[in-house]
Amino acid sequence: MANYELINELTQFILKESRFCDQSLYSDWESLWTDDGHYWVPRGPNMDPEKHVSHLNDNRMRIQTRIKALNSGTRHSQLPVSPMSRVISPIELEAEEGDEYQVGVNFNLTEMAIQSTHDMHIWAGRITYQLRRVEGELKMARKKVVLVNGNEPIPNISFLI
Amino acid sequence: MNMPEQGLKRDYSHLIQEGKVHSSMYTSDQVFDDEMEAIFHHGWVFVGHDSEIPNTGDYVLRQLGKQPVIMTRDKDGGVNVIRNRCAHRANMVCGYEGENKKVLVCPYHGWVYDLKGALIDVPHPDGYPDDFDKSQLGMVPATQIGVYRGFVFASLEGSGITLAEHLGDATALIDRAVDLSPEGELELQAGWLQHRFKANWKMLPENDCDGYHVETTHASFMHATDSQAMDLLADTDAEPPVVRDWGNGHMEIDFNVAYRSRNIPFEWFGRVPASKLPKYTAAMIKAYGEERAHELSVTGPPHAIIFPNLFLGELNVVFYYPVSANECVQLYTPMSLKGAPEVNKRAIHQTEGAVGPASFLIPEDVIIAERNQSGLSAGGQEWVDLSRGMHREYEEDGKIVSHMSDETVNRGFWRRHREEMLRDHSA
Repeated sequence: MANYELINELTQFILKESRFCDQSLYSDWESLWTDDGHYWVPRGPNMDPEKHVSHLNDNRMRIQTRIKALNSGTRHSQLPVSPMSRVISPIELEAEEGDEYQVGVNFNLTEMAIQSTHDMHIWAGRITYQLRRVEGELKMARKKVVLVNGNEPIPNISFLI
Repeated sequence: MNMPEQGLKRDYSHLIQEGKVHSSMYTSDQVFDDEMEAIFHHGWVFVGHDSEIPNTGDYVLRQLGKQPVIMTRDKDGGVNVIRNRCAHRANMVCGYEGENKKVLVCPYHGWVYDLKGALIDVPHPDGYPDDFDKSQLGMVPATQIGVYRGFVFASLEGSGITLAEHLGDATALIDRAVDLSPEGELELQAGWLQHRFKANWKMLPENDCDGYHVETTHASFMHATDSQAMDLLADTDAEPPVVRDWGNGHMEIDFNVAYRSRNIPFEWFGRVPASKLPKYTAAMIKAYGEERAHELSVTGPPHAIIFPNLFLGELNVVFYYPVSANECVQLYTPMSLKGAPEVNKRAIHQTEGAVGPASFLIPEDVIIAERNQSGLSAGGQEWVDLSRGMHREYEEDGKIVSHMSDETVNRGFWRRHREEMLRDHSA
């Protein structure tokens, strides 16, 4: 039997994380990470991050740098920030071990690129989260985003995806 | 676009002048068509790297100007650039990249070509007469193809000059990258990041060697990181970086002069201590000797444009496809240095940080380029000013050199551009 309390808790975390991304709440979003966080957007499924170049492959240090750049007030590619709205599918608890949960969701994100072209961009794919309970609180240890168009020419992804 | 094109005489000796370029050079569809013909179909362009297709039957798909092509490795070990068009009804013979192939088979009616593009078989040949000449019905190869240290260049329609003439002295820029491998070879095998943006393709080469924009356009990066580039610029005792026009439209920002004067190994490589690259350092000494290996570790890779579509940006190989006057696709991959796994492991993550749609640097350039493209449609000023540094540039070893922030390199790019646009290709 599924543990509905746990599913609900994981879902609430992911919905909050998604909202922080949508609203470009950079520092709030950064606070969701564990100290060993890994934020990864490969070009497609079945990629090896040590062999294949990724769109984004941030260790915790680089996540911090990314947030610092976004918070600098001079990150032109997010000035002004893109208005965004993402729809997250019901979650699938893919694996569970001790205090750690692997959760998969599909997402569909609409982004208005108001910095220059004013084009509306549609982003879609599957996110795999590694969530960990640290001192009673859920944290994000890994976020992997596999885009449907990761291996195609794509516009800027300088917002939080 | 919004530029008044009616009655615009496309006299390129007028539209491209020393120190200024007419706005329509970036916005006009007619200019774009002329460029595709003169520069991307007739001229030499970068196609790919031979390490992308190491084995017989390997192939990749590319776009040269308006023409889709296939780069193949044939059974004699040669590299071919052939048009991706079936001689029968013009279907693209290869619709997507995939597994190694023995022959190229058109999925429409099944015509079969060898890896050099020659037609070897058609299904149900009784539908054609006895004098049906298969030799006239191949996938037509580029008129000229040349390889320099693994970099594959081609001229689809014939350029009138050799690859050696096109590259000129700029082979030294390619050497500067390839010599960083203890085996003297690059391997491009990490795949390409692809970035689409709505600006004219020339914004890329013009920006890549522009030293003037760095502190404003890339302010967020400078703020967020401990950047060696800023150290270089701040060090008043070091030789300052310069821009250098290598002739033929090839150009660079030469950071190497500054690195050399500071003499810190791997400062160009995020200041990684040499102790973290012990095997690489040993292999380089073995290959080149102590002195040369030290020099290579200090000066590092180039930051250079090979006209018209190749950018060697530190350990990144970057090239671009013009799509229309207002749109372009740029591709990036890390250089893997053969025999240097310690370097390659780091290089891949430097690429991710520096270039690509989610990186710290290029998204900024893209947004500026897109706004720049819109700005060009505003009247009042007909010309784009590229005069910076004309009063202070100087000649050094036959090359024009100037302060890192000067538009010396843009002027060099446009000189070659104009030459190609005015070249008579009918001969």
